[in-house]
Amino acid sequence: MNGRTTLLATAELLGWWTALAVLWLVFISTVDTLELTVGAAVAGLGALAARAARRSVTGR
Amino acid sequence: MNGWILAATVTLGGGVGATVWGVATGPLGRRVVAQNLCTAFACPALLLLSQGSDRPSYVDLALVLALLGPVGTLVFARLLAEELAEDPPSAWGLTYAAAAVGAVVVLAVCVTVGPSRAMAKLLVVGVLLIGGNLVASRALSGGFPELRRG
Amino acid sequence: MADAVIVVALLLVAVSATAAVAVRDPVRQALVLAVLGVVLAVLFTVLQAPDVALSQLAVGSALTPLLLLLAVHKVKRRGRKEGRHR
Repeated sequence: MNGRTTLLATAELLGWWTALAVLWLVFISTVDTLELTVGAAVAGLGALAARAARRSVTGR
Repeated sequence: MNGWILAATVTLGGGVGATVWGVATGPLGRRVVAQNLCTAFACPALLLLSQGSDRPSYVDLALVLALLGPVGTLVFARLLAEELAEDPPSAWGLTYAAAAVGAVVVLAVCVTVGPSRAMAKLLVVGVLLIGGNLVASRALSGGFPELRRG
Repeated sequence: MADAVIVVALLLVAVSATAAVAVRDPVRQALVLAVLGVVLAVLFTVLQAPDVALSQLAVGSALTPLLLLLAVHKVKRRGRKEGRHR
């Protein structure tokens, strides 16, 4: 893995994380620290899963 | 009993009632279309109920239904591909009518809720509902050839 | 007057449940069961139990028909294979 692929991977993960975190913010009822923490963690896991899914689908 | 619950009753009685009748009688094509439209009518009914009984938690139900309903239809479209291939069921008039009902209900509830995060959530539900309805209808009428292959 | 929506939901559940019993072919039964799942979830919502309705939706709308159809698929494929060998 050279520098360019690392940069692309990080950018894609960041993009997925932002989209999922925004979706989380829309869905929750009250915005407080606990919700934000849980949302950030879950969005991180979701970003990893989404990147893996996209790579497996377009790699076909 | 306010206008929202009355509208929910009409949607349930008319829309979901018709789909219950359609899924119990007739050829396989009609039954599969009825199962698809059941989601498309039950989701706006749930949104109307959430507005009528003043419980925003019912919108979560509409969200889950808008996600899982088309998934169920896609399951049927994939596993019944051979039986449906000779006579692909396409009821685009009904599909567009159900999509229109969903759009009208989502807009009405959005206007009532006012600009906020709750309205954004309703818009996401509306997009998922109408998008899922159209994708599932297209899959049923044989529009995704990758579904038919093994 | 507020009970009208409960009456409609109960009627829908009764009709779909009767249809689920009356339909004999498993594939068509899977379709009716999918509709029954959604209608049950609506009934639970109308009776002010949204968490029950959430679980019902998660199970009844996609999982139960999938299990039923996969079972029918397997049985049909095994029957076809045995028919070829005989």
